Amino acid sequence: MSSSTWRVFLTTVGAILFGPLLILVLFSFNDSNVLALPFEGVTLHWYRLALTDPSLHAALLNSTLVAIVVAPLCLALGTLAAFGITRFRFRGRGAVAGLVAAPLILPWLVIGIAALMAYARADITLGLPTVIATQAVCTFPLVAAIVGAQLFRFERIQEEAAIDLGCNRIQVLRHVVFPHIAPALAAAGIFAFTWSFNNYEISAFTLGFQQTFPVWVYSSVRDPDHTAVVNAVSALISAVQVLLIWGGLKLVRRRTTDEAATAMITGAAHTGARP
Amino acid sequence: MTRQWVTSETRGALAVLAAPTTALVVLFVVPFAVLVQMSMLKFPPNETSGLTLGHYRDVITDPLNVKIVLTTFAMVTAAMAVMLLIALPLAYYMVFKAGRRELFLLLAIVVADELAPVVRVYAWQVILGRNGLINSILPGPPVDWLLYSPFAVVIALVTSYITYTTIPIYAAMKAIEPVTLEAATDLGAGLFHQFWRILLPLAAPGILVAAILVYIPMYADFVAADILGGPSSYMLGQRVRDVILEEGDWGTGSAMNIVMLGLSGIFALIAYRLSRLNRMAT
Repeated sequence: MSSSTWRVFLTTVGAILFGPLLILVLFSFNDSNVLALPFEGVTLHWYRLALTDPSLHAALLNSTLVAIVVAPLCLALGTLAAFGITRFRFRGRGAVAGLVAAPLILPWLVIGIAALMAYARADITLGLPTVIATQAVCTFPLVAAIVGAQLFRFERIQEEAAIDLGCNRIQVLRHVVFPHIAPALAAAGIFAFTWSFNNYEISAFTLGFQQTFPVWVYSSVRDPDHTAVVNAVSALISAVQVLLIWGGLKLVRRRTTDEAATAMITGAAHTGARP
Repeated sequence: MTRQWVTSETRGALAVLAAPTTALVVLFVVPFAVLVQMSMLKFPPNETSGLTLGHYRDVITDPLNVKIVLTTFAMVTAAMAVMLLIALPLAYYMVFKAGRRELFLLLAIVVADELAPVVRVYAWQVILGRNGLINSILPGPPVDWLLYSPFAVVIALVTSYITYTTIPIYAAMKAIEPVTLEAATDLGAGLFHQFWRILLPLAAPGILVAAILVYIPMYADFVAADILGGPSSYMLGQRVRDVILEEGDWGTGSAMNIVMLGLSGIFALIAYRLSRLNRMAT
């Protein structure tokens, strides 16, 4: 295929993936409450409305709070799981690996409903803690997959060499293992944070009466008076996310090779699907 | 020291894996056990109401459920087909043609997935709606079937899951030596033959992994259909959610959920075995 055919193909894919969001950003400046052409003039009115909406404030605060707790929790649990599965040979290793992979394969709806039943059965009131608990257990396997892919690329013999040279285990972790998996940890942390911040399905079943950002968007989308405000907020949040994720991944990329960076990203998809 | 590191392996594994495994058992395995219990109680969550398999019978015999499963199957399969049509050439381009832009494309695909999914789905309303972009460009009366239709839902499913379709296929193609394709060219194989006889068989494990990661969750997706769908695109995920949250029928809802869980498991197992078989054969 010629290079111009490829260019058309790539542009089309790019337009399908990012076009709707760009148009959303454009319409968020439109001086009309209706989502339609023609363009009525530029305004920041919707942004002003969005920034002063108390229910939106609460939702954004809740989502941020949940993600701030979930991400480090997932980093800790995921790294332990990755380390245990890649560094030790023991009976039942396959079963543990399967158990860790399972939340990545099962739909969030299925997990969310099971969680709802279990919380009801144990008489636990739904709220942010229940969302955090269920999100953490669905997200740390992703961290395990990303960090595991990096640990797998790393010869265990290097750790043994460090031990032979007189390092104790803490020193091995601190000076040999940690520098090696640091980029993977950073990438995994970014993913865990955004997965948590954006998650609708699990929140819908385990949140009770509070709102997170995706839940707020969900309820506002059905309200025609709200669309312009939703556009403005969505545009803002998406822009912040693109900048943070892109910047973060670029930073990760600078600390490691192209090859390791692609392995980390593909590793998530790869090891994740090995039941 | 080295010896000790090796011989204390099981103990070490136990120490390292204690926390993640406990979390999974308490927050993942136990909830599914509770779900099984709920699906067999006559009047859940009342535990003294007696046991029954009636909910499962209801789920299987309800003609509405059969209809919904068929609609869902059609839409999800259409979305999967479109995604493969996009992902195969995209992965091929990234691995063999992109050169220095490979990582940029990979990051772009990842970023596309990390954007707020609910917002991303909702954005299509702006384009497909009665007063949306397409209708304001097209002459004549507005086209109504663009939004709140199976068409819109399939588009949203494609954009929601394309990342997890592309990346496994990309990873599988990454393992193909470029020399293989060059040799094929030298021996006179055309583009079609290279694709059909070399690329597709070698990328097959990636396609099967994509099927596990994407085809299963799509069956339970309800965000796309909620925001862009209409009565003719009512999906399985919406049905299960409505039975539990709207109708409050926990027995039937739990039974449905267990059936979905079982089918997901069987499908994943088959795809996994196939991908292993394929790996051995090639």
